[in-house]
Amino acid sequence: MPTAPSPPDALAPDLGRLADILGGLPIGIAALDRDHRIVFMNKALEELTGFTSRESAGIPCQHVLRCGLHLLGARQGGAAGSGTEPVKGRETDIIDRHRRKLPVRVTRIEVPGEGGAATLYLEAYEDLSPLRDMERRLKDAAGAGELISRGEAMERVKKVLPAIAQSDSPVLITGETGTGKDLSAQAIHKASPRARGPFVRVNLGPMPEHLLEIELYGRVAEEGEAVPGCFQRANGGTLYLSELADLPAAHQAGLVRVLDDQSIIPAGSDKGVRVNVRLIAATHKDPEELVRAGTLREDLFHRLGAVRVHLPPLRERGEDVEFLLTHFLALFASRFKKDIKGFSPRAMRILHSHPFPGNVRELKNIVEYAAMICQKDMILPAHLPGHILAALKSGESPAAGRAGETRGRKRS
Amino acid sequence: MNMRTKKILIPLFRDEVAPRFDLAGEVLIVTVAEDGAVEGRQGLVLPHASADDLCDLVLSRDIDTVICGGIEEEYYHYLRWKRVDVLDAVAGTAEAALTRFLAGRLKSGDMLFAGGGDHA
Repeated sequence: MPTAPSPPDALAPDLGRLADILGGLPIGIAALDRDHRIVFMNKALEELTGFTSRESAGIPCQHVLRCGLHLLGARQGGAAGSGTEPVKGRETDIIDRHRRKLPVRVTRIEVPGEGGAATLYLEAYEDLSPLRDMERRLKDAAGAGELISRGEAMERVKKVLPAIAQSDSPVLITGETGTGKDLSAQAIHKASPRARGPFVRVNLGPMPEHLLEIELYGRVAEEGEAVPGCFQRANGGTLYLSELADLPAAHQAGLVRVLDDQSIIPAGSDKGVRVNVRLIAATHKDPEELVRAGTLREDLFHRLGAVRVHLPPLRERGEDVEFLLTHFLALFASRFKKDIKGFSPRAMRILHSHPFPGNVRELKNIVEYAAMICQKDMILPAHLPGHILAALKSGESPAAGRAGETRGRKRS
Repeated sequence: MNMRTKKILIPLFRDEVAPRFDLAGEVLIVTVAEDGAVEGRQGLVLPHASADDLCDLVLSRDIDTVICGGIEEEYYHYLRWKRVDVLDAVAGTAEAALTRFLAGRLKSGDMLFAGGGDHA
């Protein structure tokens, strides 16, 4: 077995110092000799690759670093790892000892010796996994899998969600029922730095006063056991109030205080408890109208409304109607194991002329119903829910192509 | 008595075990008799580097053992699930790896180059 060549002796003291200097860097560094064998690897690179510097010494770099760059360079005719052009910030990947493929960014520096020829190469490996994870999180939150759309109206909303997610400001989401307020709140949470924390949704429907206080702020242990409120359950994460208009006026002042002080006072206690929560609130009503009517405190509205997201109703989303119909049909046909190819032209005309007061939720329910009862390979008008056909008969729905007559609906 | 032959596939990078299963451009297939004698060798150049295609090749050629360098977890487990032995993280020339394998001493993680640490 051939013995491994060692780096020039004259460099030995420098290498020792180099190892000390580079050892503590947070970026992976490998020193390679003229033949691209490992001389040493710093701790960061040991952690990245799973190989120790000691066991790697003298081994051709491609067998330890397993970097696409080295293999490509060799194919171009040079020594393994050489390449024919400088390497600066080149994105590639490695496979580590634990069989994981990791994205990395590589930079190579030649260290010339006497005469100018390279006697040493230094390669820096930057682990891009955290960056790729964040990109994936942002992409998921941008709605690829949740908020379905193609049209401009909704795409505009989806574009701003990741940016909103990065701050900790309270958010107010408005939109008619069934437009995706809940999904938007979840998307914001998933894209935020709080994604690993809890996402707590609170429905503040009608409930007795004392129960509402416990639900919001919790209760200290007295006769009963201690009960954490929604703020405590959401600590470190996101609290989502799904209908702000349901919050009684008496508790709105309390919410203002929580937003200002970042602390709550559980029922039965007089001591504040600090909470670290990002608040998202939603309402299907017009918040300005609620303030005018006196049912929403203005100071609460201003604190929540610093960041507003408005979800357009389906009738303003143009081409999304057909896209959503097709999307949900594929989903439910698969779920019910049916081979349904699409909607008949007449069924599609009927659906296009329906105003969908319940927005996307209603559309989804209609498609689910149709897919459930359809026994053919195409959704026909007879498969649509009765109330749509009834509206068609009574002339409430402007079906059969009466162009221009809408209830405020635009078509693309 | 049936002498069952075994087939070994080694992805290659020049004369070495390819450091990356998914980037190998050629393979060596060796047929070995039960007594350890090499019965045949075949080198194949692959149309392109692909872990999926290489797995298909392993299965279509009824390979018993793959000797390779770095391989991603999903392909490692896939081949194992298909009852193919995989000796991965092997670093060295293909000949050195084959010799050690035929001697019954090759295991995953063996580094067959002389170097600083204790490798194999």
